[in-house]
Amino acid sequence: MRWFIRRLGFYFFAIWVAITLNFLLPRLMPGDPLGGLMQRLTPAQIQGNPGIINTFRVMLGGTNEPMWKAYPEYLKNIFTGNLGISTSNYPTHVTEVIGRTLPYSIFLVGVAFILAFILGISVGMVAAWRRGGIVDNFVMPSLLALGAFPAFFTSLVAVYFLGLKLGWFPIQHAYDSGVIPGFNWTFLSSAFRHAELPMIVIVFVFAGGWALNMRTIMINTIEEDYVGMAKAKGLHDRRVMTRYAARNAILPPLNGFAAQFATAVGGLVFIEFVFSYPGAGWTLQEAALGADYPLTQGLLLVFAVCVIVANFIMDLLNFVLDPRVRTS
Amino acid sequence: MNAALEDGTTAPAVARETLVELRELVVDYVLSGRSIRAVDHVNLSVGKGEIVGLAGESGCGKSTIANAIMQLLRAPAQVTSGEIRFRGEDLTKMSTEQLRQFRWSNVSMVFQSAMNSLNPLMRVGDQFVDMMKAHRKISKDDALARAATLMELVGMDRSHVRSYPHELSGGMRQRTVIAMALALGPELMIMDEPTTALDVVVQREILQRVQDLQQDLGFAVLFITHDLSLLVEFSDRIAIMYAGEIVESAASDVLFERPQHPYTVGLMSSFPPLSGPRERIVGIPGSPPDLAKPPAGCRFHTRCTHCDPASPALYRRQTTERPVLREVGPGHLVACHLTDER
Amino acid sequence: MSQIQPLDPVNVPAAPVELARVGGPEREGAGRRRFHLPGWLRLLLSNPKSRGGIIVLSAIIILAIIAPWIAHGNPNDFSLLDARQSPSFHHLFGTTDQGSDIFSQVMWGARTSLVLGAAAAALATVLATTLGILAAYSGGVVDDIINLITSVFLVIPTIPLLIVVSSYMHTRSGLTMVLILGLTLWGFEARILRGQALALRNRDFILSAKVAGEGTWRIIFGEFVPNMISRIAAAFVLVFYIAILTEAGLEFLGLGDMNHASWGVTMYWAQVNSSFLQGEWWPFLFPGIALAATVAALVFILAGVDEVSNPRLRKDRKRHGVFRSLFVGGRRAAPAVEEGK
Repeated sequence: MRWFIRRLGFYFFAIWVAITLNFLLPRLMPGDPLGGLMQRLTPAQIQGNPGIINTFRVMLGGTNEPMWKAYPEYLKNIFTGNLGISTSNYPTHVTEVIGRTLPYSIFLVGVAFILAFILGISVGMVAAWRRGGIVDNFVMPSLLALGAFPAFFTSLVAVYFLGLKLGWFPIQHAYDSGVIPGFNWTFLSSAFRHAELPMIVIVFVFAGGWALNMRTIMINTIEEDYVGMAKAKGLHDRRVMTRYAARNAILPPLNGFAAQFATAVGGLVFIEFVFSYPGAGWTLQEAALGADYPLTQGLLLVFAVCVIVANFIMDLLNFVLDPRVRTS
Repeated sequence: MNAALEDGTTAPAVARETLVELRELVVDYVLSGRSIRAVDHVNLSVGKGEIVGLAGESGCGKSTIANAIMQLLRAPAQVTSGEIRFRGEDLTKMSTEQLRQFRWSNVSMVFQSAMNSLNPLMRVGDQFVDMMKAHRKISKDDALARAATLMELVGMDRSHVRSYPHELSGGMRQRTVIAMALALGPELMIMDEPTTALDVVVQREILQRVQDLQQDLGFAVLFITHDLSLLVEFSDRIAIMYAGEIVESAASDVLFERPQHPYTVGLMSSFPPLSGPRERIVGIPGSPPDLAKPPAGCRFHTRCTHCDPASPALYRRQTTERPVLREVGPGHLVACHLTDER
Repeated sequence: MSQIQPLDPVNVPAAPVELARVGGPEREGAGRRRFHLPGWLRLLLSNPKSRGGIIVLSAIIILAIIAPWIAHGNPNDFSLLDARQSPSFHHLFGTTDQGSDIFSQVMWGARTSLVLGAAAAALATVLATTLGILAAYSGGVVDDIINLITSVFLVIPTIPLLIVVSSYMHTRSGLTMVLILGLTLWGFEARILRGQALALRNRDFILSAKVAGEGTWRIIFGEFVPNMISRIAAAFVLVFYIAILTEAGLEFLGLGDMNHASWGVTMYWAQVNSSFLQGEWWPFLFPGIALAATVAALVFILAGVDEVSNPRLRKDRKRHGVFRSLFVGGRRAAPAVEEGK
């Protein structure tokens, strides 16, 4: 129980750091972010939202306002959900933009990453169990090779061959144009269809790393006495492989899952970019190019929170799966 | 080999049914280009209900034999030649499925470190259930009930069936593993240094328990250890291994009173008697040989106090000729040039 | 392990720890001039995985160095007459939509990518080493603080952070790229190096240095570092390829230093000008393959190093190899090259 509190404490601290980082960065960078931002708005737009200049000032600095004065106000803004207005989507609020785009990303990454994990772990497990077999000699190196290519490159290749040339998958956007988002079958099936190729890319880019990791740990686990004992007990080969070896070997990679999540979020940006998939990653990139600072800040915060939540879920999972953690 | 019997049986009158028989077993560790012989033409048998002890220093090949019997040898180890038979059947020729069924129900094993023999992520009871279900049609509840009974048999509280291995002490884990070894009623239990990691008091309790169980249930035991003192008390017959070979084997009382091979003598004098006059403890000089390059002739000659160039003829034999197991008394075999001379 | 005691424990390392000097004892005939490779290089070359990696990497480095001689002058030269040409003899890799020669962009780009990546990796490695060892050696509060900072950095996703930082900067030069990459990528290895330093902390040579009154920094750089060189080198290789990938990625998104020729930049322009959708694959394929080859080479080097330090991962090879040198070397003359993981 105490351990939980410590982990939670750490995560809140991390979130605080992310928030503060957002606060400090524009102030530390040379140039005047606020000025640059204001240039993108027309007077009419500014007049339409009177309080907005102040919010921007608090977020981005510029002007001679001392930091220690702006900071509490900044924090207050964050906690009341006021993340400013997105200049590239004026006058939509940042929160709304994020709310519109984040679900697509979560859907994509959530499903695909878990699939990648399952595939990678299974391949690694079998590769270690039957050294020198087909999986070890062929499937694993292939996955590794695929993973060595940068995510955006693999996406491009996938788009080119599977999308453009073979036409098997749609290659852009999240759903067919003309379809209205909502909880109806047409939309959902279209959304799913469009997510297929990006998901395939994610799975193949990430599975290799998992497989290698799992294989290494599995090879060491197989040497353990309890695996030998399980075999001596006359258990079926498959049961020894899964319940005794893999179940123990999976713990370190599972912990690595959370760490990898941060990388996945990074890769997501590229993949969404190539596929013009309107998720949070694509939005971030567009916002960055367009110097839409409120949006970039908001998205950075959201990304950090997502990674932290993922970490926390992994901690919970570890707690459930490993009785040794529970006793301490 | 000109012995009338291949290995010692206690007395000709009691004809035991042979359970496990190793005939001229050779096990090599093969690495790129070279091989190291860990077990060199070993003959050994264990009869029904018999307690056979196998003693020797670390690295002499005793654990390899245990694994060979269970057919658990892992690359780079391999059986180069010889036979391993259980009730006459050649184990090396069994199919995977036959082997799987054979394991644990006919022969079970207590590993050297019980600490690590148990899956840390599973409750102890589930590990029993696992094993029972793999061999019999039995429901989980029945299996758990049986597991609890077995735990009691080895002197543990029934409730520990629900414990995780890390929640048990070393001695408790060892008992658990012994209970597991008995679960399917095997005819032979191999114990590989079962008590090395425990303190003497616990060691004693556990061995006592095993002895009681053995008398009740009648299983045979192959007890592997480097601690000869345990064997002398516990076993019917003892075989002494050195550098991959059996150098002496006899009934335990015979071995205790009249050890012939200098190595056995050395081992015997390595532990002091609890009572009686103070004796100087004589160890065995030197260290175990490099199995990649074993000494020529008698493998023990480099450490043997009776190997002396002052007796040139004997010395030449000791350094060039491998001694052969010969019978020097009823059921007492020794491989030594010295005893040959007598 | 109860089961198998493979070889006599005296002559063979029991744990995946110590490595013999590869090549065994000096050969006879030392009178002849022998080309002596440093031990670590021989070790890496002995493993097929790292050997392949080194060969490919060396090839790329050589190409980068000789770029001025094999490629046309300035890779950014353009001529609209030659625009959008597919690979031909004159333009080996084809041309961009502005007529720049892609072959020269790839060759010159190799320089940018390699140099930037190496510089960022160097910075990150220095940070990771210093902070990691400091944390391990000092323990206590210092350790806790450094751990906290590292953990936080690991949890904040790097690419989004880099994107946001890039967006604030108006001028993006190579230097700024190196700085921001180096400052965000150190966390991962810091943790690993700290772990290794912890294992070394209580060794005699550290304790005696401490008792002799050596200052903290002196101990860190004079005692710890020399004994962790191989792990630090591995850390460098890891961060190197991550830096190359990340930097190319940022450029591809349009957030890097857009003036220099580099692999990511070439691909960015190609994407932006929709060359791709028009079926022009060459502006993507060649820089992409160059990138992938470099990264793969580094990954394989790492995998080879991994195998060398953990013998269990190796397949038994029938030829000469590290095995033979382990046995022939016998009792090791040199101290351990690398501490086990």
